[in-house]
Amino acid sequence: MKLSDVLETTKKEPHCGLCKIDFLETGVCPAGKKHGFVAYWPEGRMELARALAENEVKPSAALLDVVNSCNLCGVCDRQCYFITQRRPTKAQQALKDYVTTLPPDALKPTPEDEIVRELRTIVGNNWATNDPIIVASYIRSIIKQKSSGKYYIAMPQTTEEIVAIVQLANKYKIPYLPRGNGTFFGVALQTLLAEPATIEQGIIIDLWRMKDLHVDPETITATIGPGVTSFELQKAAHAHKLRANVAEAESCVCANAQNLGIVTTWSNTYGWGTDNFIDAEYIDSTGTIQHLSDKDIPNPYASEQGLLSLSLIPSVIITKLTLKLHEILDDEEAVFIPFTTLPEALDLAHELAKRNIGISLAVLSRKYLTEFISPTHEIAEDFNYIAEKYLKLNYIVDVICDTQSKKIIEELAEVTFGHAMLKSLILGSSKLASMKESSLLKTISEEENPLKAVFGGPMRKHFEKGLANSPQELAKVFPEDLRAFFEKLYSKPELTDPVWLHAFRILPCRMERKHMWMYRGGYMPGDKKTILKVIDALEKPAQMYHIDGAFGFLSYLERGKLAHLEYDYYYDHSDPEARKRVNKAIVESWRRQFAIKGVTPLEFICSKGLHRKEHILYPFLPGLSEEELEHFEELIETLFGGEDTW
Amino acid sequence: MVKYLSKEWAELAKKKVLTELDKARDLKNMNTSLLNVIENVPPDNKTMYFYIKFIDGNLEELITGSDESIKQKDAEITATGDYTTFVQISSGQMSSAMALLKNRLKMTNKMKALTITKPIDTFNNCIKGIQTEY
Repeated sequence: MKLSDVLETTKKEPHCGLCKIDFLETGVCPAGKKHGFVAYWPEGRMELARALAENEVKPSAALLDVVNSCNLCGVCDRQCYFITQRRPTKAQQALKDYVTTLPPDALKPTPEDEIVRELRTIVGNNWATNDPIIVASYIRSIIKQKSSGKYYIAMPQTTEEIVAIVQLANKYKIPYLPRGNGTFFGVALQTLLAEPATIEQGIIIDLWRMKDLHVDPETITATIGPGVTSFELQKAAHAHKLRANVAEAESCVCANAQNLGIVTTWSNTYGWGTDNFIDAEYIDSTGTIQHLSDKDIPNPYASEQGLLSLSLIPSVIITKLTLKLHEILDDEEAVFIPFTTLPEALDLAHELAKRNIGISLAVLSRKYLTEFISPTHEIAEDFNYIAEKYLKLNYIVDVICDTQSKKIIEELAEVTFGHAMLKSLILGSSKLASMKESSLLKTISEEENPLKAVFGGPMRKHFEKGLANSPQELAKVFPEDLRAFFEKLYSKPELTDPVWLHAFRILPCRMERKHMWMYRGGYMPGDKKTILKVIDALEKPAQMYHIDGAFGFLSYLERGKLAHLEYDYYYDHSDPEARKRVNKAIVESWRRQFAIKGVTPLEFICSKGLHRKEHILYPFLPGLSEEELEHFEELIETLFGGEDTW
Repeated sequence: MVKYLSKEWAELAKKKVLTELDKARDLKNMNTSLLNVIENVPPDNKTMYFYIKFIDGNLEELITGSDESIKQKDAEITATGDYTTFVQISSGQMSSAMALLKNRLKMTNKMKALTITKPIDTFNNCIKGIQTEY
């Protein structure tokens, strides 16, 4: 197999980083676990295969080591197919075949220089490198594509080692940048944010080895190192019947807390920013260790707001975070309230937020629902079509709550469904997709209120019966060699348990099965009028630049006073023309969002997660004036050049 | 070739701006004063200052040095950063706005800075043409 045979796949690889966590209980890539550097993980092997195919890197002796460290065990295929329908072993096979075509003298060791020698003294010989092959695996997940800079990768294990690395970088006057699991970079680096979010040369501090994790059930807290992912923390917390408020499974908690303040569907109850943690240990740019709880530090929460606050690179490196955990109640369950229109869904969700009903509370789009729970993108598309055309199901108010709250919701809402129906939809998604032209669905669509007919009326029984499916049947949609695995996987209760899925968040990267996406939206006042204005401000640029845009989800903060909205632009990030259109749409969407009172686009929250939301989101800033918008355009031009260069 | 931030460099920079930039078209008749605080200047890691003042687009002052009196000047905006960052800005490798985004610069009065992004960028682009020894 040639590298060019897998180029289409490797070019579209989204760098979700899920292959680094054991989210399906398959274990993780043994070579990655042993060597750590991204090059040894499936994600990195795919990037290497792409970089070699596109002549962005030359082979070195390290390539042979990377290639030989993989025995094609297939763990990555199971993990990756579940999420993105990709098979990393194909890229690995192409790399193995490629190496056999190289002349023996092509694979030379990369000479050490003084900086890598000193890095190795700090972190140990195996944990620092300047080898271009290892470095290349970090392209598109912290290094900008086609960067000509000289890079080093260091993988420290302790705070003191990071201090020494920062001091070394300062001694040689080179920049440094920490990397968690690269999930934010994976999305941002495909856009015009690549330049401000990356370093042009210097030391990449890969924090993967720093996995200290201690749960204290007495204080209901967890203290973690910067290499701990959301999934790992949640798993440890669940062992004590506790829950952490965490982002997507693959994200590193410290990086996520620092960058975005942890955005979840649990925010109305658990909070945002400093609400999430008690203390942080961090290293500043001089290499000094500080703690948020130190009495002598300058006010760490002072911050600028809005347009002036854009900074995509954190000013400190978090090395330890003590987070609040939350008790899991015995009677938690999921309630879903389906809607045809968004204003109706927002009305109910806001009412629940104001009354503090629901531990997790969000408005979810049809696209998210169908994409998250369908085993393949093709099934998701059919499901999406059926939901829109026949069921008139466009939005869902998605609640995890206790029994008492469930009763209140059932009184407030005309139609609801729960765990059993969601399980039917997950296991029966392939059956549902095959019912695209069925008479049952046509009959449902002719009902006065199809949602009520399906989820609350006499058709519910027929619908559920129509969907009845087993893990064995569902597994038939997967490639033959993976079916036995997926049958066993879908037999596990958690895979169809909405409460577990909301806490562990293993599904969101399924959005990346067909295309990359760019997160739009941000924070705003929680009233419906503002929310709809913001959606319009995001929708219009998508239309202007022919981007596939869609509402993703909305959650509340502060009993509904504030809302967080995610609206996504979907595009093919391997297509330069599509990237240009997305960049233009991003700039246009900033311009439109800033004209609305109280709106802070997500990028302007970046690096503010250690701050109090009271300083970042309050007071509501007025929308920018015409004159300020003109200055904003000049700033954009200074930063990114004219429109033609985006 | 002149040494970065030396008196000769400052003289050349001043001359270049006065002769090459139009106060209305390029410098937007700006009124501002900006103090750059440049830390860790080699060889002995001292702090240097680079101060500029414009009145109605006219360059009134352009001073460099390590003299504390420059620091005491009444500056509307102060930008503080490492020597390597200022080298990148002065040599045209990075705009000051990008340095700010990358957290390489700390700046006071960002709102005012926002209003003069364009003319300051033009100013930096002008002085990058000086044959400089960094």
